[in-house]
Amino acid sequence: MAATTAAAAPQDSAHAPALTFPRPIFAAVAPHPFLQAHLAASQPSKTPLRANSRTAHDFRRVGINTGSLTHCNGSAVVRLGNTSAVCGVRAEILHEAHVQGTADFAPSTGNEAEEDPEREREEIESLRLLVPNVELSTGSTPQHIPGNAPSSFAQTLITRVQSLLLSTSLVRLSDLRILYTPPSNLDDPDVEPVPQLKGYWVLYIDIFYISIDGNAFDAAWVAILAALKNSVIPHAFWDEDLETILCSDVPSEAHPLTLRGLPIPSTFAVFEGKRDWNETGEEEEADWVLSDPDAFEESVCRESVCVVVDCTGGNKGTKDGILKRLEKSGGGVVERDAMKGLVKRAVDRWAEVEKATNAKS
Amino acid sequence: MAANTDRRRINAPSGGTSAPVFAKPVKAPGYLQSLRPNRTRGPNELRKTCKQTNSIRTVLQTGVVPSASGSAYLEVPTTTASSQSSLIPPTSSLKIAASIQGPKPLPRSAPFSPTLVLTTTVKFAPFATRYRRGYIRDSAERDLGVHLEAALRGVIIGERWPKSGLEVVITILEGDEDAWWGDDKAEGGAGSGWGLLNVLAGCITVASAAIMDASIDCVDMVAGGVAAITADGQKVLEPCPAEHQDLVAACAVGYLASRDEITELWLKGEVGADPDELIEGATHAAMGSVSVLREVLLESMGTKTKVANEVSKRKLEDVEMTG
Repeated sequence: MAATTAAAAPQDSAHAPALTFPRPIFAAVAPHPFLQAHLAASQPSKTPLRANSRTAHDFRRVGINTGSLTHCNGSAVVRLGNTSAVCGVRAEILHEAHVQGTADFAPSTGNEAEEDPEREREEIESLRLLVPNVELSTGSTPQHIPGNAPSSFAQTLITRVQSLLLSTSLVRLSDLRILYTPPSNLDDPDVEPVPQLKGYWVLYIDIFYISIDGNAFDAAWVAILAALKNSVIPHAFWDEDLETILCSDVPSEAHPLTLRGLPIPSTFAVFEGKRDWNETGEEEEADWVLSDPDAFEESVCRESVCVVVDCTGGNKGTKDGILKRLEKSGGGVVERDAMKGLVKRAVDRWAEVEKATNAKS
Repeated sequence: MAANTDRRRINAPSGGTSAPVFAKPVKAPGYLQSLRPNRTRGPNELRKTCKQTNSIRTVLQTGVVPSASGSAYLEVPTTTASSQSSLIPPTSSLKIAASIQGPKPLPRSAPFSPTLVLTTTVKFAPFATRYRRGYIRDSAERDLGVHLEAALRGVIIGERWPKSGLEVVITILEGDEDAWWGDDKAEGGAGSGWGLLNVLAGCITVASAAIMDASIDCVDMVAGGVAAITADGQKVLEPCPAEHQDLVAACAVGYLASRDEITELWLKGEVGADPDELIEGATHAAMGSVSVLREVLLESMGTKTKVANEVSKRKLEDVEMTG
């Protein structure tokens, strides 16, 4: 752990009292100068380290454990440093009779070859076939005490998750539809029976945070990805005698969810150094873009950027990524050129996380 | 459903959804019974000791939430191995996380309290049980919270923290069931609540570990235990309700081992003439948790002193920061 001195403090004025504090007190009393003192390392030979002893570009390692919950179709526990989240995916059936306003979503013909992600997205969204929710009030942070309604942070978080789920068209509609092909008509055997839509699978995606130490969004999304990849949907069929949808409990007949791509977000926090510290000195770089901020860094950074990339589409690995989403708020430090750098960092991160998701599932 | 009107969460389709119905148990009645799990351990054998292999043993771990003052995670594995031929899980295991926030000053608006104000919250995750639960706390969860509070209030020395509050937050990631799911359906889903006793005992144990981790002064360690009586009068320790068809009475205790005291007692069903035997059985089961708690306490003390040593060492190496 490299400790640093604040080199920028005016040294020439002899009467300026130099206050010294132990680390935790410095961090609590003056969080902003504390982080700046870390990042503006005095020795040029060493890469400056953040307070959590990562460099500005370092992400935390992702740990994924899947399939540990009994009552879920798929589940995952994701650890991102001290942030850990549990995600459970549960499939329930929405009967066709209970669907409200399906008239415009007549079951498409059996030919599923031409899938239109845009149409699918519309159908999934309007029928609410994906129901993600988060719970932060599990004692995961001192800020979220149970007994209160979901905070605005929780509401923002889940809205972001849901909109990313929908906009990336991650889940295929064909996995969620329950179709029934009636036996061919005896009078007219030439007419091909038309498959009828009998219902949908609704996926309840619940995320419980065990502990939050910054970057809740990335943890939630990686947990969702891993849980969906781990999910197994039982084979469902229409039973003519009972006139209801039944499922088969034989594991070999069940099908896993086939996801569209693997979009992975990387969150960055922009730390704006105080320039007036260095009144006489030359213009130096005073802003840092920190990858994967922890809770302390989130509390001192205002601007944040979230880059979602997916590199599964191309055949050149991480060289051929698709930018799925960019979210930026809180300031104007990251401009066009800096954004390019961030996208590159997000692509590097994609490879790391992709390895982790594939290793365990 | 209340969840349908909650505008701060993402809601399910308004038509409502239903859990999947599996075909084989409906069509072939014999098949259903073939899935029934049976107790594979002796009546006095605890769950934790039944399998000695490392992967399927009770896990109790402290310090899972670094930002909380104390935290613990408990996992009691199911004793019935999940079958490979069916997607329907036979029994559940118990997975509980506890986190302690505080002691911290009460808000200014709160009335004066000469002792520590204890708040316990127990919440099931929606995926904790066979039937999906909502996000709003229901009566069973509030009930558990009250019982847990009674169990903890007896051990914490509250006089040492006047005007302070302590939050104990329990999240049940997976809970025991009230009965085997096949029976449940036959009776119309009216659970008799046996599973709650197991959950309560787990909550007491895990909360106790978290309180230890938070270094809050207690008179002793409280541990949870459950015992039950079956229809033929046999006493079983730590029953898994799914494995028994004929439980008539059950009892959960919060037990202080070294003082031989009980802070919480929850008895259910027809106990018969001699309830003492059942209570004694539950304290025996609690003794099993005590030994696990002791191990964890020693371990966490060890790591804490190690960390403290490292910090003091680092302090010497550190250049002081100025600002």
